[in-house]
Amino acid sequence: MSGSRISAVAERVLRQLGHDRRVLAFMLILPAIAMLLFGYSFSGDITDVRVAFIDEDGTDLTVSILEHLREDDAFDVTVLETVDDPEQLLLKAGYQAVIRIPDKFTSLYYAHFAMGVATSAQGTIDLTLDESDPQIAATVKMGLADAAMDLGEGGPIEIDTRELYGVEVRFIDSFAPAIMGLVVALISTVLTLLSIVREKVDGTFSRIWVSPVRRTEFIVGYVIAFGLIALVQSLVVLTIGKTVFDIVINGSIAWAFACVILFAVGSVGLGTLLSSLAQTESQAIIFFPLVILPSVLLSGMMWPIQAIPRLLRPLSYVVPLTYSNRLLRAVMVKGLAPWQEPVGFAGVLIFVVLTILLASTVLRQSSGERE
Amino acid sequence: MGSASGVFHTEAVTKTFGSLCAVDSLTVAVAPTEIYGLVGPSGAGKTTLIRMLSGLTEPTGGEARVLGARMPWDRRVVEHRFGYMPQERAVYRDLSVSENLLFFGRIYGMKRRRIAERTGMLLALMRLHGHRRQRADRLSGGEKQRLSLACALLHEPDALLLDEPTIGLDPALRYEFWNHFRDLSERGRTILLSTHYLQEAERCDRVGLIQKGRLVAEGDPETLRQQAAERSGQDELDMEQVFLILTGEGALKEAS
Repeated sequence: MSGSRISAVAERVLRQLGHDRRVLAFMLILPAIAMLLFGYSFSGDITDVRVAFIDEDGTDLTVSILEHLREDDAFDVTVLETVDDPEQLLLKAGYQAVIRIPDKFTSLYYAHFAMGVATSAQGTIDLTLDESDPQIAATVKMGLADAAMDLGEGGPIEIDTRELYGVEVRFIDSFAPAIMGLVVALISTVLTLLSIVREKVDGTFSRIWVSPVRRTEFIVGYVIAFGLIALVQSLVVLTIGKTVFDIVINGSIAWAFACVILFAVGSVGLGTLLSSLAQTESQAIIFFPLVILPSVLLSGMMWPIQAIPRLLRPLSYVVPLTYSNRLLRAVMVKGLAPWQEPVGFAGVLIFVVLTILLASTVLRQSSGERE
Repeated sequence: MGSASGVFHTEAVTKTFGSLCAVDSLTVAVAPTEIYGLVGPSGAGKTTLIRMLSGLTEPTGGEARVLGARMPWDRRVVEHRFGYMPQERAVYRDLSVSENLLFFGRIYGMKRRRIAERTGMLLALMRLHGHRRQRADRLSGGEKQRLSLACALLHEPDALLLDEPTIGLDPALRYEFWNHFRDLSERGRTILLSTHYLQEAERCDRVGLIQKGRLVAEGDPETLRQQAAERSGQDELDMEQVFLILTGEGALKEAS
C-alpha cells in the first residue's frame, strides 16, 4: 500500500468531478434538496380534507358539531343544504367525506337519558367516506369521533359509515396504483434519458439525423417501446398485488393499462427533455434522484398530499406522479372511468402533451433539423 | 447524379461559433466518382465542413450542396442518396454487429431481405463475418471502425461523407480501407473524406489542404507536389513536406 498512490487516485477522482460543473453543483445541491424534502414533506398532520356537511336537524347541538369540525385544521368543511346521493359528491365533486346529520338527531340524542333512564334511542350521524386513501379515511373517522365526544351530556352517538367501494380499502390497495405509476415513470424517464444521452456520446444521434428518420418517428418509436415495457411492468405489479397481497381492484384493468401507457408516453417525453440538459452519462445519472425524490415524497404516494405542509403543497402539483396516482386510484380503487377523475386525467394529459411537444423542440435543436 | 458543379459543392460556405470562425468562406466542388480528401490538422474545420454538407450544421454564410440539394434545407430530397460516417465510431455498443446493420437498413426503408443480402456482402467485405452476433462493444477499435463504415454503405448511397474514417487504425487496416474507397469510386461512388494523415492524401484523386478554416491549396497530389516544388525549389517532396511548404511549419507540427 502506498499512501502517495492512494492519494493520487483520490485526487484524480476529485479533479475529474471538479471539472464537470453540473455534476459538482448537483453533488452539493442534492443533499440539501433531499434533506429539505424528507424533512418537510411529511408533517405528520393531515390538513384540508374536503368534507361536505349536511345538517338536516339544524339545532344548537348540530351547529356545535359543525363548529368543532371547522376548528379542526384537518378539515375543509363546506355546508350543503341537502343531498340526494352522497356517493356522487365523493365521486364527482371531489369531496373526501360527506357527513349528514339527519332530522331528529338532537331529540334522539337527548332522548337516550330522558327522565334519567337510558333507552335504546340514540342519535346517528351518516358518514359516507372515500376510503381510496385509508389515511384520510382514518383522519375523518377520528375527527368526527372527537367532535361527537365533546358534545357534553347526552346519549352515545352512532356513526353510520358507508363503505363506498364495498370492502374496506387497505393501505396496500391504494399503494398498488401508485407503485405502478412510479415504476413506469422511473423506468421510462430514466432509460429514455440515458439512451438519448448515449446516442449523443456515441455519435449515433448524428447518424440518425442524417438518415430519413423524422424526430416525430424517433419519439413515437421510443413511446411504443416504453409503452410495451410499461404494460409488462403493470402486469407484474398487478399479478403480485392480486396473488400475494389480494389487493382490491374495483375498476377496469383495461382502463388502468391505458392510463399507465399514457403516463409512460409523458415519461418518455420527460426523459427526452432532460436529455437536452445532459451531455454525458454522469450528468444524466445525477437527474435520477431529482426524478425519484419528488415522485416518492410529494405525489401522495406514501402519505396523502394533505399531510404535506401547505407551503410545500404547490410543489406536489408540479410532480407528474401526483396526477397519475389520482387517476390510477380512481380507475382501480374507485372503479371510475378516467374522465370521471378530471383533475388526474387532465393532469396526465397535459403532462403528455407538454413533454412530447417540448421534447420534439429539444430534438429539433439537437438535430439541427429545419422544416 | 449531382449537379454540374459537383456531387458535393460548397460556395463560400462559412461557419462561426461565437467569435470563432471554424470554416471561412470555403469553396469546394467534388466531381462524380472522385475521391476528394480534406487534409489538415485537428481543428482546421474539416468536421464542421462535413457536418454542413451532411445537413447537421447550418452554415452561417454561403451554401453547401449535396447532389444539387441545398443543405440543410433540402436534405430530405437527397437523404437516401448519401451515406455519412461520423468521426466517433457511431454504432450501438449494446447491439450486435448484424443488429446494428439491421437498424440502419430499416431507417433507410430497406426491406429485411435486402438488408440480409447487403449485410452478408458487407460483413465479408469488411472481414467481419465471424463477428455477426458479437456485441459492438466487444469488437476491437478497427472492427468497430469497419462496422461503422459498413453502416454508412448499407443503403448503397451514391455519395459518401466520411469524417476521419481511418483515425486510430493501424497502417495495414488503413491500407485496406483505402482499397475499399478506391473500389467504391470505381463502382461509381463519390467520396469526400477528411484525414489528418498526410500520407493518405497521396491516395486521393484531389486534395484540399485546410488550415484555420480556409482552403490554402487544392489539386491532385502531383499538382500540389509541383506547386510546393516551385515554391521551395526542392524536388521529390513527400506529402508532409508539401503540406509544410503550402501551409506553413506551425500547421505541420500540429498535424503530425
